[in-house]
Amino acid sequence: MYENLQTPNGMSRRHFMGHMATTAMTLPAFQFVSALQAQADTIRKNNKSLILLWMGGGPSHMDTWDLKPESKNGGEFKPIDTAAPGIQICEHLPTIAKQFKHLSIVRSLNSKEGNHDRGTYMMHTGYAPNPTVVHPGFGSVCSMELGHKLGDDFSLPHCVAINTPGEGAGFLGMTHAPFYIQNPNAPVSNLLPPKEVNALRMRRRLAILGMSEKNFLAQNRGQAAKDHQAVYTKTIKMMNSQYTNAFKLDQEPAAVREAYGKDSFGSGCLMARRLVEQGVSFVEVSLGGWDNHNDIFNTLSRGNLPKLDKAMGTLVSDLAQRGLLDKTMIVWMGDFGRTPKINQNGGRDHWPRSWSVVMGGGGLKGGQLVGSTDKDGIDVSGPETGVMDIIATMTKGLGIDLATQYTTPNGRPIKLVDGGKPIKELF
Amino acid sequence: MHATRPRRLAAPIRSTLLVVLGLGFAAPTFAAETKTEGSTASKAAVKPDYLDPMIQAAWEENSIKPSPQATDAEYMRRLYLDLLGRIPTVQESLAFLENKEKGKRTKLVEYLLEHPDYAKNFGNIWTLILVGRKQAERQVNKAALSGWLRRQFAENRPWNEIASDLITATGSNKENGAVNYTMAHLDSGAVPITSITTRVFLGKQIQCTQCHDHPSNDWKQRDFWGINAFFKGVKFEEVSKADATGAEVTDYYKLMDQPSDAYSTFEKRNAYMEIAFPTFLDGRKISQGKDVDRRKELGKFVTAAENDQFPTAFVNRMWGHFMGRGIVQPVDDFGAHNPASHPELLDKLGADFQASGYDIKALIRWITNSQAYQLSSIKTKSNELDETLFSHMMLKPMTPEQLFDSLLTSTDAHKTSADMDKKRDTWLRQFVVTFGNDEQGETTNFQGTIPQALMMMNGDLMTNATGGKAGSYLAKLLDEARKRSRAHPEPFVINRLYLAALSRPPSATEMTNARKIMASSPDTIYLIEDMFWALLNSNEFVLNR
Repeated sequence: MYENLQTPNGMSRRHFMGHMATTAMTLPAFQFVSALQAQADTIRKNNKSLILLWMGGGPSHMDTWDLKPESKNGGEFKPIDTAAPGIQICEHLPTIAKQFKHLSIVRSLNSKEGNHDRGTYMMHTGYAPNPTVVHPGFGSVCSMELGHKLGDDFSLPHCVAINTPGEGAGFLGMTHAPFYIQNPNAPVSNLLPPKEVNALRMRRRLAILGMSEKNFLAQNRGQAAKDHQAVYTKTIKMMNSQYTNAFKLDQEPAAVREAYGKDSFGSGCLMARRLVEQGVSFVEVSLGGWDNHNDIFNTLSRGNLPKLDKAMGTLVSDLAQRGLLDKTMIVWMGDFGRTPKINQNGGRDHWPRSWSVVMGGGGLKGGQLVGSTDKDGIDVSGPETGVMDIIATMTKGLGIDLATQYTTPNGRPIKLVDGGKPIKELF
Repeated sequence: MHATRPRRLAAPIRSTLLVVLGLGFAAPTFAAETKTEGSTASKAAVKPDYLDPMIQAAWEENSIKPSPQATDAEYMRRLYLDLLGRIPTVQESLAFLENKEKGKRTKLVEYLLEHPDYAKNFGNIWTLILVGRKQAERQVNKAALSGWLRRQFAENRPWNEIASDLITATGSNKENGAVNYTMAHLDSGAVPITSITTRVFLGKQIQCTQCHDHPSNDWKQRDFWGINAFFKGVKFEEVSKADATGAEVTDYYKLMDQPSDAYSTFEKRNAYMEIAFPTFLDGRKISQGKDVDRRKELGKFVTAAENDQFPTAFVNRMWGHFMGRGIVQPVDDFGAHNPASHPELLDKLGADFQASGYDIKALIRWITNSQAYQLSSIKTKSNELDETLFSHMMLKPMTPEQLFDSLLTSTDAHKTSADMDKKRDTWLRQFVVTFGNDEQGETTNFQGTIPQALMMMNGDLMTNATGGKAGSYLAKLLDEARKRSRAHPEPFVINRLYLAALSRPPSATEMTNARKIMASSPDTIYLIEDMFWALLNSNEFVLNR
């Protein structure tokens, strides 16, 4: 079943060049396929992408995007002005503040789930966990709708997750699952065959593999067997792709690396830019350490806030300078918000009831404030925004049909956007 | 350990047999073993008589028909993976497949339950459940915990005694491995040990009630803190010793309970502070004074005969382990928000498990001898949409642990050693992700992904497993084949490669195809390497069918 991969893409490019380029017969075929591929990739590069900045553990909205300096819940941080008139954010986010003509804050989110696993699932899928169906994360939806539908000849995964395994693909199947980069500062593990396996042997291996899998595949044993073949096909393509250079940050100028920050989040954001440049549809970059039950102000001002500021601020300005921001949406979110009230340990606890998400790029309006919370940050004043509204906004902004509906393998219809509406202030 | 049985009775015959069939390493095998066991079949006959009918009734209600029975080879491989955590060796496969006795499946269950790898596997599985895959902090002696658990499973100690020991353990974390369960979850005001104790032993996820009442159950915030208060007296200290140079180094950590009259405090949503003294989930309280040992009292509540949830939670977890899905799924999330697929069956099995004296091996016998467990994973038109009624076996992707051990088994390199356990740990750690939040969640998200495919195709572990250098498994195999037939060594080689990787001989078509490939190539050992690589990378290898 891997026949189509045997030549010329069925081996590492490096090996291919070394061994096969001398064979006159294969060369024209290779060029022909390359030309076709190049065409599809041009279309892909103009297609929209989403970069999700994931704040693992549940970020405090009161200490980032929705400060309440007058309230007893306000905490230690002061607000500062941003490039958007009337929008203030935390003093520890000055680089991001400069980019606020591109960014908007939704301050009225009620996401209902206050448990890490459930909140993470909810924010990625729009749905509460359910024992009978596993919903796809939005990254897998992007993979399906923005990546796969352009034809599946792209040689990088459509959906990549950095510093986090990301949310699974659920019923969309493993080919849409995030490709997980554990450490953006290290090379991708096992990307090339061992030295002693040359191109001819790799080709033989794949031929025998294809043969050995046939019988099992034909036996109706379910999704996992089919997924196995699809994932191998995808993997083999990637092994041969010149685009894997997008994973190599050492090709960037030192100044750029400095600007993003060389920690795993900064490097992850830079890698995200390199990946969407090549046409990857979805990249999630995670920054953990937001579960601040204790000593929140010291922890954030010395750690996550400066890291976030550098990386996110640089990412937005870099995308804008390269003309990529109109096709690249950026969304900042996490498991849930944190309690307005500061607890006895100088921390804040889990709080899904009234918190903030930041969105921008990809054609969304910047400089907008959507909704607000009351003076102590406890309740949303006015209409609440639901998680499905965020999903609907991403869906519409990326040009995906709001009426998209899937059928699970056991025949159940599931809507991509179930009951949510795009946030009108952002269009 | 049950080492007193006359295990080696048939040894001379057996080893001759082995040399003929496999590559001839002396190991106790199933065939030899069953001859010495007369009474085992009767043990399995106690499978509850309602088990199969209740599963069947649900099929009938939903007008679906079950898949046919799995083949012997499928059942064998499934059982080895589920019980021993690895695939069978070539010799083990041949011993079972060529055995013609009636009731050999039931006998295989008995044989594997007595195998040293059974206790090792369940010790590992429970180490994961209790402290996770991640590298333990320095006050947690993971190896001591695994060793302790291994001994409990080897002795088949009743589950209520194991659970009680884990919840109440005190003393040195080196001498008493059970201590490490509590040691691993004591930070943040004992919040983690509160969550995990109810989740693991009772299947109830009360962690969200830490901050508020449960939105869809009747669990209250005070339930969480009532359990938390049982851990108020827990303390540990570092015990040092002098090393060879006279320098002081940590010897072990000592866990103890100080008599305590302390209470837990928590903040209600309305900003009022409340306090909680030790209170079990059903509202029962213990003395608030220093006259009781609080963890002992908690252990009694959890494992008490009148607590149905305790046996039920264990039965469900075991059912999920073998069937690929719990009767309540996820296996540790019971409650009104997450109904069971077969509630009556689960209750009955829970009651019978308790009546058996929490006999873990008995429970395993019931499940593995059931009709549902023995079904093929090939779906039929009638049942292909079913995911909850156990009308076909579910494909279970190998866990990283099973994958590692099975790759070693396939090359006959799986013999347990401390060094190997260490290598395995290091290898496994690369796939673990910790979320770093207060629920101490972790995941591997590894099964079926591109990183796994890359590792299987190009990683060191695979390169070593499929290497044909002098002295390697494949080199020995080729030597053996040539001894048998200088002119045509390939049928033997192909047969053994299939047995080693897939635990079955090749079909006639597969044999013909493989022989064609081998006939066409002069560089034989590389070709064998490539063929073995392909089989180990196939869907059939990595999916427990």
